[in-house]
Amino acid sequence: MSELLQVTNITAGYGDGPAILDGAHLTVEPGKVHCIIGPNGAGKSTLMKAICGMLTIRKGDVIFKGKRLNGMRPDQILREGICFVPQERALFPKMTVRENLRMGGFILDDKKELERRIEGILERFPILRERADQHAGTMSGGQQQTLAMARTLIIKPTIVMLDEPSLGLAPKIVQEMFDIMKMMSAEGVTVLLVEQNALMGLKNSDWGVVLDLGRTLFEGPAADVLADPRIQELYLGGKKAA
Amino acid sequence: MADILQILILGLALGGVIALMGSGLSLVFGVMRIVNLAHPSLIIGGAYVTYWAFKMTGVDPIVMLPVASLIMAAIGVLLYRLMFERETKSAKYSEMTVLLTFALAMMVEGLLGGLFTNTQRVVSPDYATDAFFVGDIFIPKGQLYAGIVSLTIITALSLFLKYSRLGYAIRATTQNREAAELLGVNVNFICILAFAIGIGLAGAAGSLVSFVFSFFPAKHWEWVAMLMSVVVLGGMGSILGTVVAALMLSVIAAFVGTWIGATWSTLTFFLALFLILLVRPQGLFGEKPEMA
Ligand SMILES: Nc1ncnc2c1ncn2[C@@H]1O[C@H](COP(=O)(O)OP(=O)(O)OP(=O)(O)O)[C@@H](O)[C@H]1O
Ligand SMILES: [Mg+2]
Repeated sequence: MSELLQVTNITAGYGDGPAILDGAHLTVEPGKVHCIIGPNGAGKSTLMKAICGMLTIRKGDVIFKGKRLNGMRPDQILREGICFVPQERALFPKMTVRENLRMGGFILDDKKELERRIEGILERFPILRERADQHAGTMSGGQQQTLAMARTLIIKPTIVMLDEPSLGLAPKIVQEMFDIMKMMSAEGVTVLLVEQNALMGLKNSDWGVVLDLGRTLFEGPAADVLADPRIQELYLGGKKAA
Repeated sequence: MADILQILILGLALGGVIALMGSGLSLVFGVMRIVNLAHPSLIIGGAYVTYWAFKMTGVDPIVMLPVASLIMAAIGVLLYRLMFERETKSAKYSEMTVLLTFALAMMVEGLLGGLFTNTQRVVSPDYATDAFFVGDIFIPKGQLYAGIVSLTIITALSLFLKYSRLGYAIRATTQNREAAELLGVNVNFICILAFAIGIGLAGAAGSLVSFVFSFFPAKHWEWVAMLMSVVVLGGMGSILGTVVAALMLSVIAAFVGTWIGATWSTLTFFLALFLILLVRPQGLFGEKPEMA
């Protein structure tokens, strides 16, 4: 196995509260798209927060490129190359698009290089160039999500974790978000995705992870997850995978 | 006409000082959601530092301003680490800070009263009792200098927030603490820094206040309501809003004071606070309160 990130049976929760995750595991392979599915409250967002260092991991390990990430701060984990886009509220609403992009490169020390990379992003996402001096909070949902995803690219991350990038977006816009995700993947960024629409998420992924009650029930090739009758029954509304 | 111009100028100069008094309060609320009821008492702390420096060495209050500011900023760091740092994760954080800072305000008042008695003080450098005359209009030098220094400091603060790397981090933390943390901002450090700047601004305001108003330890009760109305009208957390609101209310108060009567002039601020909370609780430049 040539895994990039290995999460083994972690236990984690908020503050001194009860363990939300208990027995969650996950394997991330370089360059692939991974999709976490599971019902509301399963702990999908919590798992991502635990990986990026926002929650203390009480038990288990998060190993990235052979290095233990447990106990590291979010900024340290970011510097390792793992970037997290939270579910909703990822942006600074009263900063312009350009300022948001600058914040995306907050950990870069070379200011010239940062401006060069921002230019590169604006080149690739014309809608962001058009809105460069507009407050992020005044853009449409799809534009905001585009900015949140594009912003991760500034630091040239190894892994990008996207928590429900399609939330609240019209189907046509959702497709655009998946297209951006595929483009990121094609460039060699490893993607870890949480998706409410399990069918759509798994179809666009290489690897599937089923999470429920803070535990990993199943993980394997996305096609296998799609084909599994139990999972079809529980999470895919009994629909036949195409 | 000259009358109106005269009142306007006095109102603006005083408004500049009030803007500086409120800007630290606004910054601290914006970044940390701390409603710092002790802010005015710390301004009085800065005024006493300036007063004693003047009395003992004759150093000019405006020269003393950076020193008073640094002393208060250092006290700010201590207060933050002692009182607020551990509480940031608490769900009742904002409510708790109101009680904590209320207690702090009374402690500061008691301490200053014990040390310096409750006698009214004022620093009197030469310019404090001097004035410029432009035609029929007279402009007290003390108020004019204080107003100009205040607006200069606020401009510097705004430029720092807008363009510097730390300024970006402070604004980002204000708008979305979690996202800032995820992008590599050390939010705890930013909170300490912002609190230090906020209390440093209280110190700076104290130096100016020391020769513009007479003061004594319990004076802060008068100011807390005035500053609250300025900060709420401006929109909690918005520095620009604080400045606009301070200038606006101060000018209105100056007109009310001249045309209706001095006792009504302070009432302007309280009435404004009441009306804003009824009509537009998010203030001029603030965001709508979240309905969570
Ligand atoms: N900040 C928090 N403090 C305490 N408990 C939390 C917090 N955030 C989430 N939880 C709890 O953790 C559990 C898992 O929540 P989480 O947000 O990880 O679920 P999710 O799988 O992402 O759900 P959704 O599909 O609704 O986004 C829930 O029971 C929730 O109440
Ligand atoms: Mg979630």
